Amino acid sequence: MSAWWAQLSLFLGVLFNGAIMTAIVTAGSFIVSMVLGVVSAACATSRSPLLRAISSVYVEVFRAVPILTQLFIIYFGLGSIGIKLNPIPAALAGFGLNGGANLTEVFRGGIGAIDRGQTEAALSIGMTPLMALRYIVLPQAFRIVLPSLTNFAIGLLKDTSLASAVAAPELSFNANALVDRTFRSPEIYILLALFYLAMSLPLSALARNLERRSSRGHRA
Amino acid sequence: MPSWSLIAAWLPQLVVAAGGTLKLAVFSYVLGVVAGLLIAVAEMSEHRLLSSTCRVYIEFVRATPILTQLFLIYFVLPSVGIALPEFTAAVIALGLHYAAYMAETYRSGIAGVPRGQREAAQAIGMTRTETLRYIVLPQSVRIIVPPMVNSAISLLKDTSVASLIAAPELMLRANDLTSEYYMPMPLYILAGIFYFVMAYPLSLWARRLERLARRGYGAVHSVSR
Repeated sequence: MSAWWAQLSLFLGVLFNGAIMTAIVTAGSFIVSMVLGVVSAACATSRSPLLRAISSVYVEVFRAVPILTQLFIIYFGLGSIGIKLNPIPAALAGFGLNGGANLTEVFRGGIGAIDRGQTEAALSIGMTPLMALRYIVLPQAFRIVLPSLTNFAIGLLKDTSLASAVAAPELSFNANALVDRTFRSPEIYILLALFYLAMSLPLSALARNLERRSSRGHRA
Repeated sequence: MPSWSLIAAWLPQLVVAAGGTLKLAVFSYVLGVVAGLLIAVAEMSEHRLLSSTCRVYIEFVRATPILTQLFLIYFVLPSVGIALPEFTAAVIALGLHYAAYMAETYRSGIAGVPRGQREAAQAIGMTRTETLRYIVLPQSVRIIVPPMVNSAISLLKDTSVASLIAAPELMLRANDLTSEYYMPMPLYILAGIFYFVMAYPLSLWARRLERLARRGYGAVHSVSR
């Protein structure tokens, strides 16, 4: 009985450390994705054909290639030509670049949903296009995209499990390490699923709440 | 930069592996479409236990990573006597994963048809089955098809995860060639190009369908106004 308890507490401890790293990687990648997504969406809606083309190529390429392939190019590929990243920065770069492409579409939709009259009014009172974007369009667009952002965060949380393939010590990686050490794959992988459930269910409750609230605002 | 003769030696192997990726994607997609339909029907049934079981299943699948689900099927099922080969395990994991998403797609497709349509059909004396067959389903298909194509694109990309249990597909071949030649950069970029060639036409098609669906939707609205 006590051996059983000792093993369970070992599993829980190692998985808990992994969960913290999963949360860090998720939060970090979320921030990188937001920055890249905003910049790329601003390019996509700009008047410069060059900026639009850059944003469009970025989005199309990163959305048509699996995130696992992107991670391997960044971690193993760049590593082999002298740009050696540690697993965690590589994961942040991979998920961030991939997420930025996905968020470009989300932000573009949000910006597109804001009536043109808002921008025109801002410009007519003497704001620059950048000011109009920053103070008029983005704050309103943000409200519209909030539910999609939460859903994106849930997807990101689950996707970070792939960072285990580039040896980032997050939840799935720690679970695999435990399996290698103890050969108790049923217990460990079931616990692993429970950890992910515990992390993503609160987020999806939040997403549902935001969706309800934003659809209410829409009707009003 | 690898020599052209090296790339020429890799290409045929990667083409074969891309065939494995397509096979994996098609098998899992078919499983997802069929199982998703069953789940959606069961969830909408009046049987409480059945519908709440489906609800729990959908929530579980959507709240955990596909990688975890793959591990549960490939590494955990053998402990209860169900040992599956890699490819089969991958088809089942991907298929059952996407079934949960597709069940939601079907449900929102049927819910997306305005109530008035159903009420009008019943008012002119159609039975429930007739209403579903002639009024609701034809309209929900228009709503369902674009997300179904998007699911196909995501599924195609997610098949790469199957390489982590050594199912025969593109990423596994790229990994094997990498350990043979130690040229990860060109090999993974080549793999990326293969995925792009397969996924990009699908995403162009998805966008076209979305545009068409939106146009159709606008037309319905202007008529009802």
